[in-house]
Amino acid sequence: MFERLRRVGLNGELSDEELHRAALAGRSEAMAALYRRHGGLVYRFTLQMSRNEAAAEEITQEVFLALLTQVGRFDPARGTISTWLCGIARRQLWKYLERSDTAALLDLDEESTAELQSLSDGPAEILLRHEAVAVVRAGMDELPPALREVVILCALEEMSYEQAAHVLAVPVGTVRSRLHRAKARLAGLLRGEMANTERKR
Amino acid sequence: MTTDRELDEILAEIGREHRTMDAPDRLESVLCAATGARKRALGMPGVRLRWALASVVILLAAFAATGIIWQARQNHHSQTQQEGSVPVPKLSPERIPPSTRVTVRQSVEPGSGPARSARRVKASLPRSSQKPTTWNSLDEFVPLPVSEGLPIAAELSVVRIRLRGSDLQQYGLETPADAVAQTMLAEFVVGEDGLPRAIRIVR
Repeated sequence: MFERLRRVGLNGELSDEELHRAALAGRSEAMAALYRRHGGLVYRFTLQMSRNEAAAEEITQEVFLALLTQVGRFDPARGTISTWLCGIARRQLWKYLERSDTAALLDLDEESTAELQSLSDGPAEILLRHEAVAVVRAGMDELPPALREVVILCALEEMSYEQAAHVLAVPVGTVRSRLHRAKARLAGLLRGEMANTERKR
Repeated sequence: MTTDRELDEILAEIGREHRTMDAPDRLESVLCAATGARKRALGMPGVRLRWALASVVILLAAFAATGIIWQARQNHHSQTQQEGSVPVPKLSPERIPPSTRVTVRQSVEPGSGPARSARRVKASLPRSSQKPTTWNSLDEFVPLPVSEGLPIAAELSVVRIRLRGSDLQQYGLETPADAVAQTMLAEFVVGEDGLPRAIRIVR
């Protein structure tokens, strides 16, 4: 395999598993290839969730180092390396969020209508200055992490429900319901923005 | 419904912009360094393992070479013993030049040619070894048909000769057609009178 690694020059022909084995054998170019292939996904996910570049970089680095340290935990039969990496990133993220802002980690069962209302009120001021995209973007930031991560994975990264379920370690049905609730919130924000615009006219 | 569709479009737009973002390049060098450090950490036991394997291979090769040499010496020793089983009081084994062989042929009595090779013969040595002188039975000494009637030799010598299959016919032996052109190594038991009494095909 290492001969093949030299021959193909890491031009995308090697699978993630082959690159992972090469990286475990100490091939730094294999690690670089894996990072170039999946680093963007992990970094975007962590940045979008944490809204903190330094934290996103640190977590991304930790995630890829886990490729070397948590050797036996990746099972190709259960999922791809990308979803496995995102799963590690998610665990790191939740630890980070717990440390940084416990208020953001509201239990989904305790979500109140008042919170939904406050979301509607908050973006209303923003709608005066920004278009609908900005409202949705801001609405995503206000979503509870458990809903936000589903939106990021399924809507922004275009993962399938099954892949997202693997990352989040929840059933596919949970992914569907969380995405539905997240979209309902964002749609509520969007309706409020549209109504506000109408009033201004 | 319109709002839901618009939301999907907005999310798709955000997603397209979102996916253009790449991971920072500086992390790549950090990860490569970590991987290289792992290689160095793995390197020491790897080197030791390779040296251990090389040592085992060398030892096995040495044992094999010793065995081969020992086997060759044993074969040589047994061959020497086999040669020595025939008493050679005066002559030492040596090749008989072709001219000598001609002499032997000329000394053969008339009527002792190939025509008699198929029958059972009685040679001067050993007289008791009576078996057909066929091609496949020459792995041990058999009397030559041409030696019948010769006086019993008081002194015998073993002479190793390289000859062709066709040459055997002059000693009264039958040679298969496919072996006529083959070269072989044979041992002749020769009496003190210089006439062959028995033959064995070495290879």
